[in-house]
Amino acid sequence: MADSDKVDCRKASWLLSVASERELTAQERQALREHLDRCLKCRNYEGQLKFLREASRRFGK
Amino acid sequence: MAQTPAADPRFAEIESHRPYLVRYALAQLRDAELAQETVQEALLAALEALPGFDGRSSLRTWLTAILRFKVIDAQRRIATDRRRLESTDGDEDGADEAWQDELFDETGHWRVAPRTWSDPESAFEQARFWEVFEKCLGRLPPAGGRVFFKREVLGEETRAICGAEGITESNCWVMLHRARLALRACLESNWFGEEAPRGG
Ligand SMILES: [Zn+2]
Repeated sequence: MADSDKVDCRKASWLLSVASERELTAQERQALREHLDRCLKCRNYEGQLKFLREASRRFGK
Repeated sequence: MAQTPAADPRFAEIESHRPYLVRYALAQLRDAELAQETVQEALLAALEALPGFDGRSSLRTWLTAILRFKVIDAQRRIATDRRRLESTDGDEDGADEAWQDELFDETGHWRVAPRTWSDPESAFEQARFWEVFEKCLGRLPPAGGRVFFKREVLGEETRAICGAEGITESNCWVMLHRARLALRACLESNWFGEEAPRGG
């Protein structure tokens, strides 16, 4: 269980956010994907970010 | 400049190699200003080292060798600046700041887990939702709220936003990250909380 190079929720939330500002590296993408596969909380957060983006966009109209 | 070099007849000769050296630096660095600066650094270093120059190689060869090291230094600096601008240590900033301790425990897990929001799209149809949304936006810290508003509501590019705010791009990313976390938490407790359907 030497998972030190894998992402935890703290890191995953950062990657999910920064992914809309810059391209993630291949490594980051893979680590994030692996985390999301086994973490419902972060999948929820991912959905919430999409919602925030859409809500903000509509708010500006 | 320094006192001694002018006394050395090779001083003027060093200067005469400057155009050649600038061309050499320019070929490596592809930046005229940087090439000039780098040659200047190399010539100053050469003047200091001149008393030790034994004349076994030609002066030009010797100067070029000094310049080569200065060019490598400059290339290293460019690479470091670029890395700093483009990300990676933005990563460290974004994931390791102390304010996150409120949101994540020491093992990196959510202290309060984000829930599954039921039918979020229907919120858009309700006037009351937009009141809550506006209130939550208003609760963001001033700078973070401004950056978030420009980015997500007005759809501006991050680069332009950071420029206007006078902060680095990775700083901007961290502010956005923080604002998104705060906003989702506010909506979850003030909107999706109210409506919270069957347990999850
Ligand atoms: Zn997670």
